[in-house]
Amino acid sequence: MTGGNKVMLDIPVNETVTLADLTHDPYPIYKQMRAQTPVVRVAQTNRIFVTTAEHTKWIKENPEIFSSDDPMTPMKPAFQAHTLMRKDGAEHRAERMAMQPSFSPKVIRSDWAELYEKIAKEYVSLLPRGETVDLFSELCGPVAARILAHMLGLEDATDEEMQRWSQRLIDGAGNFGRDPKLFEASDAANAEMNALFEKIIPRHQSEPNNSAFSVMLRAKNPIPLSQMYANIKIAIGGGINEPRDALATIVYGLLTNPDQLEEVKRQEAWMDAFEEGIRWVAPIQVSGRRTTQEIQIGDVVVPKAETVMTIQASANRDEAIFDDGESFNVFREKHPHQSFGSGPHHCAGAQIARRTLGHIMLPLLFDRFPNMQLPNPEDVVWSGFGFRGPLNLPIYLD
Amino acid sequence: MVSITFIQPDGAAQTVQATVGDSVMQTALNNNIEGIFAECGGAMMCATCHCYIDDEWAEKTGDKSDGEDDMLDCAETEVTDASRLTCQIKVTDALDGMVVRLPSELA
Repeated sequence: MTGGNKVMLDIPVNETVTLADLTHDPYPIYKQMRAQTPVVRVAQTNRIFVTTAEHTKWIKENPEIFSSDDPMTPMKPAFQAHTLMRKDGAEHRAERMAMQPSFSPKVIRSDWAELYEKIAKEYVSLLPRGETVDLFSELCGPVAARILAHMLGLEDATDEEMQRWSQRLIDGAGNFGRDPKLFEASDAANAEMNALFEKIIPRHQSEPNNSAFSVMLRAKNPIPLSQMYANIKIAIGGGINEPRDALATIVYGLLTNPDQLEEVKRQEAWMDAFEEGIRWVAPIQVSGRRTTQEIQIGDVVVPKAETVMTIQASANRDEAIFDDGESFNVFREKHPHQSFGSGPHHCAGAQIARRTLGHIMLPLLFDRFPNMQLPNPEDVVWSGFGFRGPLNLPIYLD
Repeated sequence: MVSITFIQPDGAAQTVQATVGDSVMQTALNNNIEGIFAECGGAMMCATCHCYIDDEWAEKTGDKSDGEDDMLDCAETEVTDASRLTCQIKVTDALDGMVVRLPSELA
């Protein structure tokens, strides 16, 4: 991002925006930032926000300048490990590739597709008819938990356990205020997870399958057991809320735009609905990187050892790429969004998410309940700065 | 400039000018070549820039990168002995006239 002969400016400071504002509704704030201060220090978080698509993509694709290794994040105490999310280079690649085979399209086709369809059918068929149901808690969360449990080789864990562990890991990882109660909760979840992992190792050794735990355990050059545990916890922390929030967001988008829903059904454009839903409200909104050197971003110079927050939620609505990006529009002109990130940390679950939600869950759900309704969209509560989605989805199922 | 021809599974061909030093992936993106998604932006983390390079050009593209085969195993499309990730092929003068074939989407 060279600026030619432009005069370099100090980083502008936004003194007013609070974490509460961002959690409630960040989109008008990001829109204003893109227009006026695309690189800005948000005083109340003491972090630099980067909000345009060009910059967020460039930052993620240049890990030598923008490192993921940030020793100050609460992720380490929350996961009781230095995880691959916070590593760069060869070390990150080795740990990531250790479980990547489980998430590959080949293994999805050979091992998972049929099972996921069975699970999705089972959970959808358990939903009642003739009443209003909170689809968020009754379907989106549990089905994501069950599918992930199988993919990781943790069939023994209940949906409730998977969701509880996931939430506690996330709460701990976002515990920038270092509230000891949140770390106590994540410690308790870690103890439960460790006990389960230990218990099922012999089974994965004697009856290996293509689950992530099995694949890591039987690798030719296995990564240390502690990093296998950390990898599985990262997948639990990231693999439930994201498909859960994506599903709820897409269903909300379709039910509040019935003309689009009809057209999606007619064209069977479920994959387009999936991509638009996660563009519109990215389940992971923000990713942090730490500068390894002084670096110019746009018109400003950012010092070494600063944390920059790349806001993919904002990039996904950037006027430079998307017309009327604030609206949900399945049939908009196609442009790549950044909800799966870019660069070395590009989402390892992207293909799984497309398969489970776009190919399986969306068509299945709307086929079983073709006339489902969201009678009061205003009752849906949206929340989140780092992770975002609806907290409820009261739907009338007929 | 170096000329590279991308051939779609249906046979449609598009010849473009590439800049020495760019990757073949970057060249494809610059020219909106269908079938090269390059989701990870060239970090060799997604296999969405998968292509086939015929034998006559394979030698000139150089060896596969460390880990490229592992990532190719995760490709959505059919992998053959000719498979490469375009992010790992750097454009050089020796590649002038190279043909890059794109994979068909699997059902």
